[in-house]
Amino acid sequence: MNSVMYDTYTIFWRELKRYKKSRSGVLIRLIQPAIWIIVVGNIFSETQPLIQSVGFEGEYIEFMAPGVIILTAIFTSIFGGVNTLWDRRYGFMNKALTSPISRSAIALGKMSAISLIAALQASLIIGIALAIGVTFPNPLMIIPIMGIVILFSLGFSGISVTLAATAKSQETFWGMINLLGMPLFMLSPALFPLELLPDWLAVVAKLNPVTYTVLLVRELMTGVSEGGIPILISVGIIFAFVVAMVAIASYVFTREVNKPF
Amino acid sequence: MYSIETKSLTKSFGDLVAVNDISFSVKQGEIFGFLGPNGAGKSTTMMIFTTLLKPTSGKAMIAGFDVMKDAKHVRENIGFVQQETTVDEYLTGRENLLLQAKLNHIPKNEINKRIDEVLDLIELSDKQDQAVVTYSGGMRKRLDIAGGLLHHPKVLFLDEPTVGLDIQTRRKIWQYIKKIHIEFEMTIFVTTHYMEEADNLCDRIGIIDGGKIQVIDSPQNMKNALGNEIISLVVEDNNNHDSFLVELKKIEFIKKINQDDSKLILFTSNGTEVIPKIFQISSDLGIKIITISLTQPTLDDVFISYTGHEIRDDKSKFNRKIEHAKMKRLRA
Repeated sequence: MNSVMYDTYTIFWRELKRYKKSRSGVLIRLIQPAIWIIVVGNIFSETQPLIQSVGFEGEYIEFMAPGVIILTAIFTSIFGGVNTLWDRRYGFMNKALTSPISRSAIALGKMSAISLIAALQASLIIGIALAIGVTFPNPLMIIPIMGIVILFSLGFSGISVTLAATAKSQETFWGMINLLGMPLFMLSPALFPLELLPDWLAVVAKLNPVTYTVLLVRELMTGVSEGGIPILISVGIIFAFVVAMVAIASYVFTREVNKPF
Repeated sequence: MYSIETKSLTKSFGDLVAVNDISFSVKQGEIFGFLGPNGAGKSTTMMIFTTLLKPTSGKAMIAGFDVMKDAKHVRENIGFVQQETTVDEYLTGRENLLLQAKLNHIPKNEINKRIDEVLDLIELSDKQDQAVVTYSGGMRKRLDIAGGLLHHPKVLFLDEPTVGLDIQTRRKIWQYIKKIHIEFEMTIFVTTHYMEEADNLCDRIGIIDGGKIQVIDSPQNMKNALGNEIISLVVEDNNNHDSFLVELKKIEFIKKINQDDSKLILFTSNGTEVIPKIFQISSDLGIKIITISLTQPTLDDVFISYTGHEIRDDKSKFNRKIEHAKMKRLRA
C-alpha cells in the first residue's frame, strides 16, 4: 500500500511538472470558460426575471458563475486523460509498465494530477469572475468550494482516463469526450435553473452528478439553496460518483494497458 | 548462470505467428544481439522479455524469474531502452532521470548519487539542467540509455538503439554501450537490423527471420563458417552453366555457392588461389566471365546465406502479413 502511494505520487509529480512547463496550455484552457462567463454572462443578463422566479435575487452573472467554474472543472479534467494516449504512443507508458511500479498507481497518479490541475484552472476562473464583478458574500467559502471542485474533477478525470485507456486513437477519444462533455454540462442547472427545464429533462438532469455539484457550489457561493436538495445529500452523491469513477478507471486502465497498443 | 533463458517461446496474434517456437539462452555478462529485418519477431520477443506481452506458449526466464509468474521481479531486474526516445522533452535531463529513478524505486538517499554517476558516464553532466527539447537526437538517446541504467539492472534491453541516428552518432552510442557494459558488467540484449551494429557490439548474435531463430553464434564464427573470402562473379548465359557449377564445387576451398540468375557468390578461403582456377574452368567450358571480385565476408553475407534474402528485403510475404495484422489491430 505504501508503495502504491509512492508510485502514485511519482506519476502525479511527473504530470504536474509537465503542466507547469506548458504555460501556453494554462492560458489556452482558460479561454473557453472565460468566454462563457464574459460573453454568455453578459448576453443573458436580461434573463434576470427568470432566475428571480426561482428565488435568486442577484445578477445573472452571479447565478451562472458557479456553472462556469464547474464547466472549467469538467472540461479541464475530461480532456486531461488525453496524454494517456500520447504516453502509449511515445513510449512513456511502456517505460512505466516495465518498471516495478503498480499499474493502478499510474492511473491514480494521472487522475489526482488532472483533478488538481482542473482545480487550479477553476481557481483562475474564480479570479476572472471576481474581476468582472461577481461577489462572494462569504470569501471563506472558497475553501469548501475548491474542495468540491477537486473532488468532482477527480470523478471526471476517471471518465477521461477510462476513455483514454480504451480508445485506440485520438479520434475515438475526442469523439467520446465531445459526446459526453457538453451534454453533461447542458443537462445541469449550470446556466438555467432546474425548475425551468421540462419535466422529462429535469429527470435526466437529476441523474447527472454535475447537477448536484453546480447546486452545491452555487449554494456555497451565493447562499441561495435551490431545488431543495440538502447539502449532505449532494456531497454524498458527488462522493459516490467519484469513488465509482476512480474505481472503474483504475480497473479499466490496468486491464487495457496490458494489451498491445 | 543464464540471464535469459527461453524454451519453445511462441507468440501468435490470431493466425499470425510472430515468434515461432524459439529456444535459446544468454549467459550472464554477455552482449547478445538479435538481428533480423523489420517484422522478423525481434520486438515481439523483446516485449515478452520485458513483460509487456504474454507469450502464447513456452517459457521465458529473465534474471532467474519467470516473465509470466513473476513479472514484478523481472521488472525490478531489467532496464528497457525503447526504440523511440521516450524522454520528456519539457523536463530537464536531470528531471527525466529523477523520474526514472522514482519509477524504479531507487532509495531516496541514493538517487542523487546514481544520477550524477550515469550523467558522468554518458557525458551529459554539463547539460543536465537544460530542457531536453534543446538536446540533439544522439544526446536524447544517451539520456534514454542512462535512464535504463540508474537502478543497476541485471539485464539491459536495448531495442534498436541507434535507429534514425547518423553514422557518427551511431558509433558514439556503441562506445557508450561498451563503456556501460564494462562499468556495470550487466547482460545486454540488443535488437538491431544493422549488421554493422551487431558485428561491432555483440559477443553472440542470433539471426531471426520469420519468427524463427536461424542461427546463433559469434559474429566471427559466422563469418568464418562462410570461409574468409567471397568471390562474386557474373557470367554470360550459357548452356554449360550447370557443368560450370559442378566444376566450381570441386574446388576444395569453396565452401558454399549461392546463385542469383547469372550472378554467383562463392564463399571460400584462399580466394587469390581460387580465382585462377575459376578462369581455368571457365575457359575450358567456354564460359565468358563478365565481372569478378574478391571481398571479405560481412554479416550481410552471413545473413543472406542463412535466410536466403537480404536484410532490407521487405517484400517477403511474411512481412506484409505482419504489417496487415498490425494495421488491423490499430483500427480495431
